[in-house]
Amino acid sequence: MGELENSSSMAVSTASGEASASSSGNQIQGTQLVAEGGPPKKKRNLPGMPDPDAEVIALSPKTLLATNRFVCEICNKGFQRDQNLQLHRRGHNLPWKLRQRISKEIRKRVYVCPEPSCVHHNPARALGDLTGIKKHFCRKHGEKKWKCERCSKKYAVQSDWKAHMKTCGTREYKCDCGTIFSRRDSFITHRAFCDALAEESARAQTLTVSNTEGNMNVNGNGNGKSIVGAGGGGGAATSPPPQPLTPSTTSVVSPGLSIQSSEMPENTMGLSPPITPAATSAPSTSSSNVFASIFAPQTQQSKMPAPASSILQSAAAPLERTSLSLSSPLYLSNNGSSIFTGPEHDHCHYAPSAQPAMSATALLQKAAQMGAAASNPSLLRGLGLAVSSSPSAAGPDPNVKAESSSVAAGLGLGLPLNGSSSGLNTHHHHHHPMIGSSSLFGNKPTTLDLLGLGIADHGGASPNGLSAFLTSFGGGFNVGAATSSYPAGGNSPRDTWEGAAERKPNGPAML
Amino acid sequence: MIQEGPSSVTSSPLQFFPWMSLSPGLGSPFPWLRELKSEERGLCLIHLLVACANHVAAGSLENANIGLEQISHLASPDGDTMQRIAAYFTEALADRMLKAWPGLHKALNSTKISSVSDEILVKKLFFELCPFLKLAYIITNQAIVEAMEGEKMVHIIDLDSSEPAQWINLFQTFSARPEGPPHLRITGIHEQKEVLEQMALRLTEEAEKLDIPFQFNPIVCKLENLDLENLRVKTGEALAVSSVLQLHSLLATDDEMLRRNINSPSISRNLNTNLSHRVLQMNHRTLGEWLERDPVHIYSPSSSDLPSPSSPLSLAPAPRIGSFLNALRALSPKVIVVTEQESNHNGATLMDRVMEALNFYAALFDCLQSTVSRAQVERQKVEKMLFGEEIKNIIACEGLERRDRHEKLEKWILRLELAGFGRVPLSYHGMLQAGRLLQSNNYDGYKIKEENGCLVMCWQERALYSISAWGFRRYD
Repeated sequence: MGELENSSSMAVSTASGEASASSSGNQIQGTQLVAEGGPPKKKRNLPGMPDPDAEVIALSPKTLLATNRFVCEICNKGFQRDQNLQLHRRGHNLPWKLRQRISKEIRKRVYVCPEPSCVHHNPARALGDLTGIKKHFCRKHGEKKWKCERCSKKYAVQSDWKAHMKTCGTREYKCDCGTIFSRRDSFITHRAFCDALAEESARAQTLTVSNTEGNMNVNGNGNGKSIVGAGGGGGAATSPPPQPLTPSTTSVVSPGLSIQSSEMPENTMGLSPPITPAATSAPSTSSSNVFASIFAPQTQQSKMPAPASSILQSAAAPLERTSLSLSSPLYLSNNGSSIFTGPEHDHCHYAPSAQPAMSATALLQKAAQMGAAASNPSLLRGLGLAVSSSPSAAGPDPNVKAESSSVAAGLGLGLPLNGSSSGLNTHHHHHHPMIGSSSLFGNKPTTLDLLGLGIADHGGASPNGLSAFLTSFGGGFNVGAATSSYPAGGNSPRDTWEGAAERKPNGPAML
Repeated sequence: MIQEGPSSVTSSPLQFFPWMSLSPGLGSPFPWLRELKSEERGLCLIHLLVACANHVAAGSLENANIGLEQISHLASPDGDTMQRIAAYFTEALADRMLKAWPGLHKALNSTKISSVSDEILVKKLFFELCPFLKLAYIITNQAIVEAMEGEKMVHIIDLDSSEPAQWINLFQTFSARPEGPPHLRITGIHEQKEVLEQMALRLTEEAEKLDIPFQFNPIVCKLENLDLENLRVKTGEALAVSSVLQLHSLLATDDEMLRRNINSPSISRNLNTNLSHRVLQMNHRTLGEWLERDPVHIYSPSSSDLPSPSSPLSLAPAPRIGSFLNALRALSPKVIVVTEQESNHNGATLMDRVMEALNFYAALFDCLQSTVSRAQVERQKVEKMLFGEEIKNIIACEGLERRDRHEKLEKWILRLELAGFGRVPLSYHGMLQAGRLLQSNNYDGYKIKEENGCLVMCWQERALYSISAWGFRRYD
C-alpha cells in the first residue's frame, strides 16, 4: 500500500482510543489513516460532523488530488472508479474467499481538509463527501487553473468553470447607466435607485450651470440661486427648495416654489436634462420584460400551430446563441432560427402615440408641415398666416410622406440659408421663441401636460417662435443669443419651459 | 426686454456661437440644448440635417462642417430614434465630405477591420428581430411552391444564400405535398465560403430528416460577377429564382461615364413616354438584344435637369441589371421572386437621396425601436452595421461603389417587364400566411398590403419592402 506510506506524512497517529476513530488497518482500498482531532467527540450533530461514529479520514493533498484512488491490491494498478477496479480484479482470478471485497463494512467516512489553517481541518468539521472535500481543497487552497474567456474569472475546479461558462454572458441585465448585472434581483434593485442617482447628478449639473449664468429672478429677487432652486424643476420635487435660498428670500420665493413643485413634481422629472432617466423608466420595465421573456427557459411563446414543425420553434435560443457564440462561428444556427419564431419584444410599450419620444416618421411629417407652412420668404407674415392651420394636429398637408420633392420643399426652411439673415434680425423681436415652440408642440396633449402649459392662451405670437427658432438654426444659430438674452425668468432654459405657466400672467408684459 | 441679457451674448446675427466663449469646463457649451424635449430636439435635428446636407450637396464644406458640429451636440447613437438616425446620417455626410480629400479618406479607412462574422451576425439579428425577412421568405416559398405544382425536379437559385431557415421552411412545405417532395436542388450564391458551408450543412441535415432528395451547390462569388451560364441548369428542371434585397446592387453603375455618353437627352425622353407601350409590343428577344447593345438609350439620362423621381417612366441607366435579367430570362425560369426595399434611394441628386433615405430609415428605426427595447446592444448593432452602412453607402458613395440603390416597386416592374418577364400575381394564401406570422408573434404595427398582385410590407402605413413574383412572359 504505497499510498499508505504517502499519507503517513500527514498521519495523525491515534493516541486516544476514541470510539469514533477506529483503525481497520488491513487492506481497505485507498488510503486511510485514522486521525482524530483534539476535542472529544461529545458534540453530536455539529454541522459538518453529523455522525460521531463516522470514520474520519485525512488524506494528504497529493492523495486528495490523485486521480487513481482505487488501487488493486494485487498489482497496485490505479483506477479512477471503483467499478473499474472491480472489473479489473476479476481478471486476477481470485479464489472465492478473497473475492469478496475485504472488510465490507461500509462505514460512513468523513474527510478532513489537509490544509492546517482551514476550518475543515478539524475533524469536528469534517466533510462527508470525498468529492466535496476535493473540490473544497481545490477551491480554497488550490491554484485557479481554469479561466473564463469572456469575463476572465478564474476557477480552480473544472466543474465550477463549466457551470460558469454556461451562464456567463447569457443572463445579462444591463441598466441604462451601463452597469451590467448577472442577477435579476440585483439588477432590479439597482435600477430602482439608478434613476434617483442619475437625476441627482443631473440636477447637480444644472444647478452649477444655471448658477454661472447669473440671471435675474422673476420676482425681482436678486438671488439667482432661488430661481435655480425653482427652475431646477426636475429636481424641485426631490431637492428641498429652501436649500439654496438665503433666509431673506425664503418668504418671498417659497410660495412660488411651492406652487411649482406642487404643480409638477412628477412631470418635471421627465424634463430633467438627461432625458434618459425618465424615458428609460418606461423602457426599463419593458426591458426587464424583454429579458424575462428572452431568457425564459425555452418556453414557446408563439401560439401559432405553424406549418413549421417544432424543431424550428425555439424561442430565445437563436438570440442567445448568437450573442454567446462569438468565439465560435456565428453562423452556426443549429436548431436555431425559424421563420416562424418571433422576437421577444416588448409588446405594447412603444405605441407611437404614447411614447415619450415621438416616432421619427411623425417628426419628419411634422417638420415637413412646419416647413411647408413657413416657406414664405417673409417669415413673420408667413408664419402668422400659418398659425391658424398648424395648430391642428392632423395638419393640413397630407402629402408629407415620401414625395421627395414636397418634402424637400417642405423643409425649405433649411434651404434658403443665405437669405435668412434678415429673418434672423427680425426674430429678435419675436416673443419667446422658446415658449412659442412649446405652445406649438402643445398640440400634443401629452407634451402639454408635461409642461403644464395651456396652449390656447398662447395664441398668435407663439407659433412664430418655432419656425424662427428653427430657422435660426439653419441660418446662424443665434437661438442661443435669443435664449440667453431672455428677460426675466430665463435663468435656465428649462425654467423657461416650465415656468411658462407662471409666465402667463406676466405674458403681456413680456410681449 | 428681450435684448437684455448676459453681456457675453450679443444679438448680432453674424455672431455665431457666442457661447463658445464659455469655459469648456461646463461640459457641453450648449447647456440649454439638453433642456430640449425630445420632440423639439428631433425637429431641430431634422432641420439641421437637411441644412447640412444642402451644404454638402452644394459643396460648401465650411458650412457643412459647422452644421455637423451643431448636430453632434444633439445626435447620439444611444439616444432616441431621431438622435440615432441623425448620428448615422451625419456620419454618412461626413464620410462623403471626406471623400473630397481622397488621400485623407483612404488613410482613415485603411486600417478598418471589417469582421465577416459581425456582418453575418448582424444579418441574423435583423432576420430575428424584424419580421421582414421572415415574411419575404414565407411569401417567396409560397410562390415557389405554387409555381412548382406537379414538378418533379426543382432547381432554386438563391441570390443571397445565408439563412437556412428560408429553405427549411420550403422543405417542410414540399414534404407535405400530396405528391411528395420533388427532387430539389438549391444553388446558393454568397460572397463568403463559410456561410455557404454552413448553409450546406444545415440544409442537407434538414433534408435528410424530411427525406427529401436534396443537393446544394454553393457558388462563392459576388453577384455582379455571377456567370449564369455556369449554373448548370439541367434540362427538365423547373427553375425558380429567389432574390431577397439583392437586385438593387446590380444597379450600381458608373454614372459619370454614362452621363457623358448620352448624346441626346431629348430623344431619350421621347422614348420614355411611350416606353411601356413599346415594351409590350416588341418581341422580347429583339428587345433583349437591343438592350444589350445599347442599354443607355432606352433609359432617360440621370442628369440633374430631369426630375428623376417624379416621372415614373424614367429609369436610371444600369447596364448590368439589363444583362443580368436577360441572362436569367435565357434560363427560362418558372418563377422569380424579387424582394426589394420600397424607397427610391437611387436619385440622381444627393438631396433626393437624403430626403428619401430620411423617411425610409426613420420608419425602419421606428420599427426596430418598437420591436426591440431601447438599450439592447443587438439593436444598436443592427442599426450601426446594417442600416448605418446602407445609409453611408447611399449618401457617401457614388458610381460603382454605391450599391445600395434601392428603387421602388414601380421601377422594378418596369425593369423586369423590359427584360421580358411577366408578373405572376402572388396568391392570397401567401398573404394569409404572412398575416398569421405577424399575429402569432405579436408583431404590432406591421402590415401587409396587396397591390396589383404584389405584396408590400409596411410599418405603420409606411411601405418598407415590396415583393413581387415574375415568370416568363408569353406573347399570345
